[in-house]
This record gives sequence, structure tokens and C-alpha cells, in this order.
Amino acid sequence: MSVKVRLHPCLKKFAGGQSVVEVSGHTVAECLDNLEAKFPGMKQQLLDEQGKLHSFYDICVNLRSSQTDPLTEPVKDGDELLIITVIAGG
Amino acid sequence: MRAKRVVIAGAGGLGSVISIYLAVAGVGKIRLIDHDTVELSNLNRQVLYGDGDIGKKKAQVAVRKLQALNPEISVEAVTETITEDNALELLGRFDAIVDAMDNLPTRYILNSVAVNQRVPLFHGAVRGFEGRATTIIPGITPCLKCIYPRAPHPEVTPVIGVAPAVIGSIEATEVIKYIVGIGGLLTNRLLVYDGLNMEFMEIKLERHPDCEVCGHLPGSQK
Repeated sequence: MSVKVRLHPCLKKFAGGQSVVEVSGHTVAECLDNLEAKFPGMKQQLLDEQGKLHSFYDICVNLRSSQTDPLTEPVKDGDELLIITVIAGG
Repeated sequence: MRAKRVVIAGAGGLGSVISIYLAVAGVGKIRLIDHDTVELSNLNRQVLYGDGDIGKKKAQVAVRKLQALNPEISVEAVTETITEDNALELLGRFDAIVDAMDNLPTRYILNSVAVNQRVPLFHGAVRGFEGRATTIIPGITPCLKCIYPRAPHPEVTPVIGVAPAVIGSIEATEVIKYIVGIGGLLTNRLLVYDGLNMEFMEIKLERHPDCEVCGHLPGSQK
């Protein structure tokens, strides 16, 4: 079971400079747990104190935006997660 | 093109680029809304303004320059802040609403007017070397609230000058195509621009059936 995670550039420093890493998990939340196990500190960047995704981030599975809570999205072997930021400047 | 009326919300980095290209394209009536004044820190990206404009109202300076670029169109400056109370008055009765704002809460106001008036909203946003863009057709595509259900905490957004040039040009392209009725629009897709790595990606978007803004419109899966 392997899921590719494409990190936003601002998260690369937490993954030793890598922009793409591989984890396992059956949901996005499980993948983040495994991401944290590999790269301690990553989860703190992404989740708030209640364990919800910070409003600054969004996570897409296979380049598709989630219609619900991205953390509950199921994933399967070969899927790709994209972690991007919500930006608002003009 | 001459018969069309377009309102541009924001005369900053995005608004500078969008308004220039829509003016020279010949959009007949352009309303440009911005309450801000020109500051030195704007000049890396807000190409409508120069050193001599610092301290002046952006919309008023912009209108003078746009009118000089194309004297055959009508360009109007509005220096009010867009609020829920005045949004319909400022944004209503246009053929298209163009998002050139610098914050998501005001974008939500534009989105509500666009959905309620069934008028297209051309969205763009930038931060650093990054940008996002999509074209919202109410009832057909996701609205902004479907795409961004939660607004991130406000911040002072750093922007490299060329990022709004890229995204603003894309928004202007979309408006021109929409008006003329040619090509394929950037609908149901969020364009993600990463200038640092010079990559463009697309995220597939879907309407949220429970969207508080557009969920009631026909076509929703609700």
C-alpha cells in the first residue's frame, strides 16, 4: 500500500527537502498519521488543536477537491495526495 | 465587446493587469472598485501606478490611465469599501464580476452577488510566487464557497510582482472568451500556478450539494 504525497513547497523543510514522499493509509487522516511518523512535526503544521485541517491548507486526492472533510477521504494503493495552500492575495 | 459591462473588484496587482487588458480589448463599460490609496510597497506589482501616484486613490488614478489607454470606452471609479450592505448596488447590473480582491471574506460577498444575480465570477488569487484561478458560472460550476468553505486567517500577503501578472492575464483571458463566446472556459477546474517551480496543475472541482450559497440552484445534486 503506497500513497504518494505531493507537499506544498512550504512543507518541504519538514520532509528533509523532499517535495514528494510516500506513505501508507486507507484514509487521508491515516496517511497524515504515517507522514507524521516519518517526518515528525508535519502534522502540527497541517492540523489544528482539534485535529482538523488548518484553514490555510487543502488536501486533494488524485487532483480532485473534497466535497466533505478532506481528512475522511478514502485512499487506495497508487493514489496521490496533493497538499496545497488556500491563498487570498491580489 | 462594446456593449458589455464588467465590474472589477480590486485595483491592486490583479486589478491592474485585468483592467488594462479589458480596457484595451474594448469592453464598453468598466467599473473599478477599490477604497485604497497607492503605497510604495504596491509598486512591485500594481503596474497602473508610479511613484508620483503614492497617496492617491487607486481607483481614481487607474481610471485616468485606463481612459487614456482607450478613450472610446467608459471607465468608472468607485472608492467605496465593498460590504454586504452595498454589494448589490456596486456589483449588480453587470455582465461579469471580476475578482481582484486581496481577501477571502470580500470574495465571499462577490460570490453571493454573482450567484444571486446568475452572473459569472472570474476568480483569481495570488501569494508569493503562487496563483489560483477558476471561472464560476452559477448553477453550472461550483461557487467560491463550494471551493473554499472556510476562510484562512487574514494575513499580510507577500506577492512577487509577476504572480498577479500571470493570474490577472488568465482572468482577463477568461472574461474576453466569455464575452465573445469562444473557446473553453476554466470551469470546474482550479488552476494552480507554482511560479517557483514553473508548474501549472489543475484540480477537479465539483459543486457542493449542501453549499449554503449555491446549493439551492438547479443542477445541484441535493
